[in-house]
Amino acid sequence: MLKSYLKIAFKVLLRRKFYTFISLFGISLTLVVLMVAVALFDHTFGAQPPETKADRTLGVFLVKFTHPDRGMTRAFGGYAFLDRYVRTLPNVEKVSLHSFPTTAVSYKNGARMTSWLKRTDGEFWQILDFDFLEGGPFTSEDEKNHNFVAVINQTTRKRFFGDEPAVGKFIEVDGQRFRVAGVVPDVPILRIVPFADIWVPISTSKTDAYRKQFAGPFMAMILARSPADLDMIRAEYRSMLTRVEFPDPRLYNKAEGNAETLLETVARMLFLTFERGESPVKRLMAWLVFLVVLFMLLPTVNLVNINVSRIRERSSEIGVRKAFGASSLTLVGQFVVENVLLTLVGGLIGFVLSFAVLHLIGSSGLIPYAQFQLNYRIFFVGLGITLFFGLFSGVYPAWKMSRLHPAVALRGRG
Amino acid sequence: MAKHLLKLVWNRRRTNILIVIEIFFSFLVLFVAVTLGAYYAHNYRQPLGFSYENVWDISVGSSLQTDIEPTSAEQKTARVNITKRLLAAMRDFPEIEASAGLDSPVFAIGSSSGSLHYKGRRAETTFNQVTHGFKDVMGLQLVRGRWFEDADDALNWDPVVINQQLAQELFGSEDPLGKNIGDPKDKRESRVVGVITDFRENGELFEPENYAFTRRKLTGVSDDLSPHIAIKVRPGTPAEFEEKLVNTLSAVGKDFSYEIKPLVETRESLLRVCMAPLIAAGLVAAFLMIMVGLGLIGVVWQNVTQRTTEIGLRRALGGTAGSIYTQVLGELVVVTSIGLVIGTALVVQLPILGIATFLSNEVYLTGLGMSLALIYLLTLLCGLYPSMMATKIQPAEALHYE
Repeated sequence: MLKSYLKIAFKVLLRRKFYTFISLFGISLTLVVLMVAVALFDHTFGAQPPETKADRTLGVFLVKFTHPDRGMTRAFGGYAFLDRYVRTLPNVEKVSLHSFPTTAVSYKNGARMTSWLKRTDGEFWQILDFDFLEGGPFTSEDEKNHNFVAVINQTTRKRFFGDEPAVGKFIEVDGQRFRVAGVVPDVPILRIVPFADIWVPISTSKTDAYRKQFAGPFMAMILARSPADLDMIRAEYRSMLTRVEFPDPRLYNKAEGNAETLLETVARMLFLTFERGESPVKRLMAWLVFLVVLFMLLPTVNLVNINVSRIRERSSEIGVRKAFGASSLTLVGQFVVENVLLTLVGGLIGFVLSFAVLHLIGSSGLIPYAQFQLNYRIFFVGLGITLFFGLFSGVYPAWKMSRLHPAVALRGRG
Repeated sequence: MAKHLLKLVWNRRRTNILIVIEIFFSFLVLFVAVTLGAYYAHNYRQPLGFSYENVWDISVGSSLQTDIEPTSAEQKTARVNITKRLLAAMRDFPEIEASAGLDSPVFAIGSSSGSLHYKGRRAETTFNQVTHGFKDVMGLQLVRGRWFEDADDALNWDPVVINQQLAQELFGSEDPLGKNIGDPKDKRESRVVGVITDFRENGELFEPENYAFTRRKLTGVSDDLSPHIAIKVRPGTPAEFEEKLVNTLSAVGKDFSYEIKPLVETRESLLRVCMAPLIAAGLVAAFLMIMVGLGLIGVVWQNVTQRTTEIGLRRALGGTAGSIYTQVLGELVVVTSIGLVIGTALVVQLPILGIATFLSNEVYLTGLGMSLALIYLLTLLCGLYPSMMATKIQPAEALHYE
């Protein structure tokens, strides 16, 4: 049964090539737009190396400091705050502090080279799984002893040393000299937590003013012993915030925020629900789904329009089938199958095109170090969208057609 | 004629309603895209109010000081002295024509804002605190009054220089010079000493906004360092000068890191960052329009083939090719117009409900007019080929058709 449906569908597709082209064009490019959007989203928020322990990692990104008279400030945490209160959280396996990357300048033969510099500790390399190309990470000892050592990424190695091995050599960044301890592959800039060109110990900062700061350039990464502990850690973080002692309570006397994932922080920023504990991700997802449906509305109406037009061509076929006893339901089934087949073909073309477009964005250098891959997550999302599209746009024309009266249909008039 | 066309359209309402829906959504997409484009084009044409050629920005990075920690008077004096020493060092270079300290650099999003008051009126504005040489570095143009001068140190009020737009909003036709525009609760007055044409620090794509300069005195009392220094270099200064300059600066203020960037470069990277989403949105809109266009060709074509007999009959009764054209295209125009009327009815709610107030009337009307014209153009183009097919129908053949 299905086989003959598919056969008919194929014949129909080949009969009127212009219509088939219009349908496929719409389906495949709609899919390209959605797939690129999903790939960008996944690229930023999905669990990808080096963040292989994402299922049991939380972050502390923004903290809101308030005072009833002075208003509020939303900032990254300072070293003093994170060191005193987050590093001491109970029931966690490891905590790492790392700064938001800043640009740092080096000169080579008079030409300026700008790199993103992140200051961090030894735990950073234990929580994240970097795949070292040569050498290794710096350790907590290096951090404690103010050792001027650095881990650099592949591109930085190339810029400083060409294709030579770099471990043991020195780089000068921002007027400071670091010995290269290890080289890692490039991390995309959208991976806010691990991203940098050069990673150096926090203690190599030019002054030690950071040690007293409550608000500053730092984020924290908290590794739990198991994913089941995450809820407990979130709760502990929130109760810890109520016990914070401020250096000058006349300036600010209350801290609010959450230990959470990057996606949760971004969603919270969008909806401005900073004080609440519950996760804003569901709301964000609902909005995203709404936007996707809105975007797909026009291609769907277009496809429905074309399908409705094409039905008339086949009214004699429908008449014959009806006259021989086919029920409306059978006919709806047949035409939905046909439409799904059409969208799947369009989906296939869409996949190939998305791959090309993502490759183009990646190689354009618009987003530094972006390596988009069509992984299985994106594949399933794309497949889901395609099927949804096929069903959505196929049901109305099929229903309309199945209601044709056999006598009218046989005469070939719609 | 119009009545007849309406009747024809009504008779085929089932098919036409889908086209109306499609036109409606296409119009909305196009309206958003075209209006945004018009908005940015309009902004781009306004004068910047400063020149960025041969101007370099030096960011003086300290370990971020925030107002969560208390700062002692000595610390403050030490920080102010840094800016003083850096600016003094600049004067020794023959390559540097002018230099000044400032709070927030141009072509970088993010600056401080606040409000100014005059006779109960209140205006929101962006603030920047600069040292005395800033006018020469950026080539600001004074319309009236004067710029800051060294003698201002002795004043017992704070001098402020504002841009024309802010002067207009706060004072209307009154002369702003000498007026106090500080918060009435403050003891110390802030008085306008000069008006400049404009200072659009975010660059060409952003809307011109209110702007006010206050003066950085560098005396240490309730003052801080300038996190940025802008310098104007002699034309033709080689890029190698950068390294020399950074080395000197690093010797003067050891605890800080310095990053030098020509404004030409920061402007370009800001434009790139702002244009990328616009280009992406434009591409998506263009794709949707092509798709809608192709779809319309298909639908109209199908309509024409279906009505072969009807058209054949008209030809047999003496209808000319022109009248067939008129009929097919006329029906299409009627259907399109219905979709556009609904679309326009929705879009005019924007000014009526006061949404999207950032759109000036000029931009809004340009966007509306252009998107209406583009949709008509699109549908007519899509109708041309099918209607040509319709005129080719032979009456004899058509009357035969079953």
